Amino acid sequence: MSDMSDLDRQIEQLQRCEVIKESEVKALCAKAREILVEEGNVQAVDAPVTVCGDIHGQFYDLKELFKVGGKVPETNYLFMGDFVDRGFYSVETFLLLLALKVRYPDRITLIRGNHESRQITQVYGFYDECLRKYGSITVWRYCTEIFDYLSLSAIVDGKIFCVHGGLSPSITSLDQIRQIDRKQEVPHDGPMCDLLWSDPEDMQGWGVSPRGAGFLFGSDVVNTFCQENEVDLICRAHQLVMEGYKWHFGEMVLTVWSAPNYCYRCGNVAAILELDENLKRDFTIFEAAPQESRGIPSKKPQPDYFL
Amino acid sequence: MSADDGVIGTNDDASSCKRFAVDKGYWHDPFISLLIPKATSRKAPEISRGYYARVKGIQILIEHFLRMTNCNCQIVNLGAGFDTMFWRLHEEGLTPKCYVEVDFEQVTARKCHYIKSKKTLLEALSGEDSEIMMSKTEIHSGSYHLVSSNLRNVGSLESKLTACDVDRGLPTLFLSECVLVYIETEHTDKLVKWVADSFPTAFFINYEQVNMGDSFGEVMIENLKTRDCLLSGVAACASLDTQMNRFLTRGWTGGDAMDMKTLYRCLPQADLQRIERLEMLDERELLDQLLSHYCLVWAYKDTRDIGLHTISIS
Repeated sequence: MSDMSDLDRQIEQLQRCEVIKESEVKALCAKAREILVEEGNVQAVDAPVTVCGDIHGQFYDLKELFKVGGKVPETNYLFMGDFVDRGFYSVETFLLLLALKVRYPDRITLIRGNHESRQITQVYGFYDECLRKYGSITVWRYCTEIFDYLSLSAIVDGKIFCVHGGLSPSITSLDQIRQIDRKQEVPHDGPMCDLLWSDPEDMQGWGVSPRGAGFLFGSDVVNTFCQENEVDLICRAHQLVMEGYKWHFGEMVLTVWSAPNYCYRCGNVAAILELDENLKRDFTIFEAAPQESRGIPSKKPQPDYFL
Repeated sequence: MSADDGVIGTNDDASSCKRFAVDKGYWHDPFISLLIPKATSRKAPEISRGYYARVKGIQILIEHFLRMTNCNCQIVNLGAGFDTMFWRLHEEGLTPKCYVEVDFEQVTARKCHYIKSKKTLLEALSGEDSEIMMSKTEIHSGSYHLVSSNLRNVGSLESKLTACDVDRGLPTLFLSECVLVYIETEHTDKLVKWVADSFPTAFFINYEQVNMGDSFGEVMIENLKTRDCLLSGVAACASLDTQMNRFLTRGWTGGDAMDMKTLYRCLPQADLQRIERLEMLDERELLDQLLSHYCLVWAYKDTRDIGLHTISIS
């Protein structure tokens, strides 16, 4: 019982955007690992569920998301990855989501994004942030080890396939995803990489991705995949969309983006997708947290421009 | 003067981003480390790529101008900050007859100090028999001049340029990078007109914001306001047309304006491919969005018809 009250205290602390101790991170990751290791590469999720896209360390905007979408455990959530990098609070954001996962494992599902990677976090901020906030990279190590245990995708009521990026030319069936040994750093190529990096594109077949990883996939590829796997919809995140969500290929693929005013610069709104028990879709749009609601950091970080 | 402190601070930010990109290998600049300390924080790849496009784009236009005039010309960099262009051109053997850098006194004082204390920078200033005159805030040498002036005051600028022995008869290139946008358009309009009226053979390069009427632009104005940096001249940054027209309606004959997203694609392909391999860019849209809100505008007035209209990016 003391474990649970410790965890509740940590959640409260993280909800105030305060980091928890390094030793607490270690214990939290150990518990999270026990839960995540049991999850499949295509984690089954029951509706109703609220599906969310990229968060990118925008802690105060995640709190806005919970304000409009409801709290855990009252609302059942599926987050499609990219919890960290680019925002100023990746540590607090990821640890809060992870703590909620440990506290309410059946009410929140976290799947892996391309930023949940050792290599990418060293370029886009999470590594530097851990070093700055803890004085060492130990917490970054604990977190990146947990990234390897995150599931690669989810399927809602057997009908809505959710993944961070998209499809892979090496994958035709959900069973092939189930066979991947996911407990590793995101590889530079291959099926696991593609699931986290690919994008839909108005074309037929497969194309080279300008990102340098994953592929572009066309409508015919989506049609085939959905038919063979009896899937109605592919829901993914990964791409900034100014209106918060975007349909591709009619209503076959959906992009959901949940980081409003991305990088504190882009001027976009964010969205979450609420699926009721009949998989009826409802979008909620939200904007960035107002400046007043954000704590005042000792030294205010600034978004980058060309000056 | 305190109202300009935020604007003065933009020099440090831009300098730090350029130093970071140079250290990463985006472009060659052996002088930047002599003026600017190592960046304290990592910059995102789209920022480095954006600075690369800006530096390359301006370099292409300037070198075109220098070759066309066989360096028998002048360059005036308005709001030069810690720019290293003079030393890079000198290294390539492309020194114009007269190179003038203008900025706020607080900036020129620091630049003076660094130039005085760095042998490599100083050596480029000393010609065969020319004397170097230095004060705390200004430098006058054979071809290089560093002077302080507030660009809102055209009279002051004019007398400073005269003190640099600027010859109005020579082809003269004016450069401003993220400078005009901080100044009320009534002042920049006068400045742009004064240059056209005073120099019969002139070329003006302006790099700054464009397409600022959307939500990205609104967020930028607000973000920069919180660092005491007002975009007082943003009215001219509504579109490529407004950017171009401020020249065409004030004595300039012709020119062109390109948003940086378009310009980026026109840069030499081999080098572009090289820099795109330096760091993986996770989200192309972030680069495209930034680039489409900046532009390079150039205008000419070519009374002697030396061919200034042929200067272009490609």
